[in-house]
Amino acid sequence: MTGGAVAPTPSDTPEGSQPGVRPGGLRGRLMPILARIRPGLARVGRLTRHQVRFMLVLIGAAWGVVRESMRPNSWRRTVREEFRQCLRQVVGGGFLSTIVTATLAGLMVVSQAVYWLGFAGMAQMTGSILVSVLVREISPVLVGIILLGRSGMLVLTEIGILTLGGQIRALQAQGMDPFLLLVLPRTCAFMVGGFTLGILFATNALLMGFIITHASGVITTSVWTFFANVLGAMSSWDFLVIPLKFILVGFFVGLGACMTGLLVDADDTIATLMPRGFARGIMTVMVVNILFTLGG
Amino acid sequence: MAHDGPILDLRAAQPSFDESGMAPVPVDLRLMPGDCAVVECRDYARATLFADLCCGMIALASGSVRFMGLDWTELGDRQFYALRGRIGRITRRESWLDLFGTHQNIILQQLHHTTRPTDDVVGEAMKLGLAFGFPGLPLTSPGRLSASDLARAACVRAFLGRPDLLVLEDISDMLPPDATVAFLEAITAARDRGAAVMWFARHAASWTDYRSAVNVHLRLLDEGLFPVRGV
Repeated sequence: MTGGAVAPTPSDTPEGSQPGVRPGGLRGRLMPILARIRPGLARVGRLTRHQVRFMLVLIGAAWGVVRESMRPNSWRRTVREEFRQCLRQVVGGGFLSTIVTATLAGLMVVSQAVYWLGFAGMAQMTGSILVSVLVREISPVLVGIILLGRSGMLVLTEIGILTLGGQIRALQAQGMDPFLLLVLPRTCAFMVGGFTLGILFATNALLMGFIITHASGVITTSVWTFFANVLGAMSSWDFLVIPLKFILVGFFVGLGACMTGLLVDADDTIATLMPRGFARGIMTVMVVNILFTLGG
Repeated sequence: MAHDGPILDLRAAQPSFDESGMAPVPVDLRLMPGDCAVVECRDYARATLFADLCCGMIALASGSVRFMGLDWTELGDRQFYALRGRIGRITRRESWLDLFGTHQNIILQQLHHTTRPTDDVVGEAMKLGLAFGFPGLPLTSPGRLSASDLARAACVRAFLGRPDLLVLEDISDMLPPDATVAFLEAITAARDRGAAVMWFARHAASWTDYRSAVNVHLRLLDEGLFPVRGV
């Protein structure tokens, strides 16, 4: 054995310390503390990532839909046909529910608002109250829930079953992008359907409210005056925000249902997929409405 | 689209084990226009995975898979989906969408990838349907068709249009005997047009009638793809 210096092996350094870190220095004192809190931080990170994952997916997919929808080449005949079929399902399937719900909402909200505002001597506020409560706040939420229940869950089930069954992969093998063939047309159909049903809902709710209050003698003006008052109470911001809310609620309900269906795990079943899709859908409707309310 | 080089070219293509579960062994294969390769494979799942590898659906650890001279990994989304539209494929994987009728499932790929008039596509599909033993095109949902009718429909779908590559997994157990001649004729017609054919067979009996016309004979095992002598 020859004499001389021997380079320290890793086992020669104090346990837990790193090369280049002096045991007595600041870094040396911080390292063990960091090592202790690292698992906790990792847990928080995992949980946060898991919770925001769907939101990030939704934002990315929304950008994808907007970008793809601008390309004329995306609107091939298969995509157009899918759009037509889905739009028919969304509007046709949700029409009756929208009319019934709007009638009930009109009976309750409009008649009550008109009655109590008249009672309080604030009848001149009727138009603005109806616009801000019924048309701007309640209609998008109820239309979103109708869209989700009547069509969103159907889309979620269809796409979820295709993904679980491997047909989505078979589509890809045939050169058909599921995003282009299923997500793009369905999201656009939901967007158009959301606007259509939303306008139907708002008009019908106001009309039914007018009919009831007029029949009970609370309102004596004509229907044209009633609607003129409502329109007069709308600001230019309302004319922008109300249609935009309907459009965005439809857009995100459709997109959320499609993406939830596409992103199923191997161990998912319809029993796990449906509640998750419903919860996400309701959350999406609420978030869109709340963002607009905060923004307004 | 005429293509002089190899239609399918696998050069030391080693599938990623983590993503596919395929054995990470390098595979070499070259199919020229008009070639017909019979790949004997007893395991249906392995055959499907290998077919996926050829169609650029499986990540590679190393090597390359080129279809019509283009490396799958170098293509953008739009390009590789468009390129896959030139592949006619019969798969044992669940591939029928119950959202549409069987006739729509059959013509979907052509309607999506081409601008051919719909009537032309339907006409050609009807002709192929008659050849494979249908009275026309089945309109009912795929879920209501028998296994043999689905096998006929899979053949019509794969041979429809002018695919440059046919990847045919073994459905000889489902395809009725009266459709066998039509199947072999369709393969020959496609090869005459310049398409390459990769035909997976579980038993020698399923391709013995076509043996004289086959020019590449391979065996797909867990250990890789091996040439078989005597074709």
